[in-house]
Amino acid sequence: MKSLINRFSRWGSRNLLHHDSLGGYFEPVIQLFKPNWRAGLYRAQVSDVSLLLEGVVAINLRVDDRWPIHQAGQHIDLTLEIAGKLVTRVFTVASSPNLAKTKNTIRLVVKIQPEGGLTHQLPVLTRGDWVNISAPRGEFVFEESKQSSLFLAAGSGITPFIAILSSLQKERAIAQPIHLIYYAKPEQHLLVDELNELSQQLPRFTFELMSRAVHGDVYEQLSDYINAKLLVCGPNKFYQSAKEFAKIYDCAISAEHFSLMGITESTTSEFEVSLNGKQLSLKNTSPLLNQLLTLGEHVNYGCKIGICHQCQCTKKSGVVKDIRTGQVSDRSEELIQLCVSQVLTDLELET
Amino acid sequence: MSKVNQPNYALLGEQLDQLKAETMAKVGQEDADHIRKMIVIHRVFEWSGRILLMLGFINPFLWLVGVLSLALAKILDNMEIGHNVMHGQYDWMNDKQINSKAYEWDIACDGGSWNRVHNYEHHTFTNIIGKDRDFGYGLLRLSNDFRWRIKNLWQFATYILLSVMFQWGIAYHELAAERVFFGKKNDTRKSQISAKQLKRKFFSKGAKQLVKDYLLFPLLAGPFFLWVFAGNFLANLIRNLWTSTIIFCGHFTGDVKTFSEQECENETRGQWYYRQALGSSNLKGGNLFHILTGHLSFQIEHHLFPDMPAKRYREVAPKVQLIFAQHSIHYNTGSFIRQYSSVLKRIFRYSFP
Ligand code: FES
Repeated sequence: MKSLINRFSRWGSRNLLHHDSLGGYFEPVIQLFKPNWRAGLYRAQVSDVSLLLEGVVAINLRVDDRWPIHQAGQHIDLTLEIAGKLVTRVFTVASSPNLAKTKNTIRLVVKIQPEGGLTHQLPVLTRGDWVNISAPRGEFVFEESKQSSLFLAAGSGITPFIAILSSLQKERAIAQPIHLIYYAKPEQHLLVDELNELSQQLPRFTFELMSRAVHGDVYEQLSDYINAKLLVCGPNKFYQSAKEFAKIYDCAISAEHFSLMGITESTTSEFEVSLNGKQLSLKNTSPLLNQLLTLGEHVNYGCKIGICHQCQCTKKSGVVKDIRTGQVSDRSEELIQLCVSQVLTDLELET
Repeated sequence: MSKVNQPNYALLGEQLDQLKAETMAKVGQEDADHIRKMIVIHRVFEWSGRILLMLGFINPFLWLVGVLSLALAKILDNMEIGHNVMHGQYDWMNDKQINSKAYEWDIACDGGSWNRVHNYEHHTFTNIIGKDRDFGYGLLRLSNDFRWRIKNLWQFATYILLSVMFQWGIAYHELAAERVFFGKKNDTRKSQISAKQLKRKFFSKGAKQLVKDYLLFPLLAGPFFLWVFAGNFLANLIRNLWTSTIIFCGHFTGDVKTFSEQECENETRGQWYYRQALGSSNLKGGNLFHILTGHLSFQIEHHLFPDMPAKRYREVAPKVQLIFAQHSIHYNTGSFIRQYSSVLKRIFRYSFP
């Protein structure tokens, strides 16, 4: 019955109201009563904001009952409205599913990025503010097995491990030993108190704090763990070291790595651009549209000078520059005009 | 371009680019709030209108209020919301509903088709004879650039008919240009969409609108089928007349210039701005009037900056006027009555050789 009503309302809103959903059609009206309500997203309310270290902020969010509770290690999209613009970034949930179940609370631990954007807005949030989150996603979860596990974290990459470890806490004692190697700049390790607490509660869990300056590359730490299963979360370079080790010693490895690619502007470079899933390599020397047309790709266009918005497409990720104004885009999903966009990083596009 | 004292195009381009950059830097929460507010008002008027139409049996006066309310909603959806959102004025918001790719308006014309003909052809090639099919819509002779034909004698009646059926005129516009049903194919037109797709879109969108206004809602009213049917018809009619009138005032007043294709080859940014300036005319009015016209009362500013949130035209208009004055460009503005009578005169004048 419910699905029948759903199908009917979907059909009605598509054909009669020209919106994908009834919620989408009434969204601004619903927002009068429920601030920040958005079709297809969940609402969450800020319950606490605190600074863990200089430049690292922890945010507690109250989620509503409809939110599908995450598995430890999964991430969410966080969307904020900043000066009228919706900006979205992905963050791992740094708290256990149990906390979400019992207290309707999730925690995010976020490093404030120097280049600005969404993360700069986070310390300014105050208790009671509304934000939007997506349903949890991601395959980076922990499976119990006989084999011992090695967790490798770098910087704010500690967050999924905190979620995983605190989810083990409440359950029966686990069979396998878990060791965590956590890299960060000296004195910059996050949530060390919680790690200490966890190591007391989980008899088979141990951890070490390390830093590159003192201990060298993570690769050098791995020789004792040839038979372990590797779980890695950290920047791309950190992950590459672990991957190389896993390849040589044939270890199982599962990873979540964030690669904030540098922006290349000055030199002529080629970038990987995926257009509706198709991989192309495009240069930063002429607008995207020209290159796509030369390659014979079927993309819509009109004026080619930025007036008509016919060449509009969705940039799922990556950075472009508006060649008219010189404005550099955000990293997150947004609409761009191909004819006036210059590519600055690898891109994911959808028409 | 053939004009006696030509403006300094480079300077004109620079000044207008700068004005755009300055204004766009201010665009933010206020603009997002404005468009959401317009959508809220639309939803309220549309649904109170539809309900009141069904309550006409209690008191016909309710029915009348219903007609006006629904007409107002349709005008808002068409002008201040649809036209502007589909121009990409709010794409920067990253909102899933309020953007030029997703938005579809409540008229017979398929949004994609309108985007192609209007956003691309009309806004890029404004008033270039042969390229901007909005100039006279292929039905009316509005300048000596077109040869006089017998049918022009009764073009005043054609104009009235076009206004009455305006949404269907717009819907059919691209199909006429592509000669989908009649006429010889024009080989110089390169279309990115096939005739078959065009036909399918035309019929499916048109049918949806017809079924909604003339079958579904009347049926919902049961015994008051005809009341609702007639009410919807009237609301659509009012919207058609209003939008058509406003749009004619923006482009076909007596002073609006036309251009030839040769003139516009290798145009610079400044020259493009200049053509936009001479191809449009403004209407003076108050707050409500501007909103009901979707700020097309600032047609000049809209043509200079088509993807700037339209409410901002109010603040850029005086600055545009100053820049124009500096380059001795005529800033064509006037009251509604004055501009509209000028349009009617033009249609009448070119009815004759
Ligand atoms: S092709 Fe017209 S805006 Fe890009």
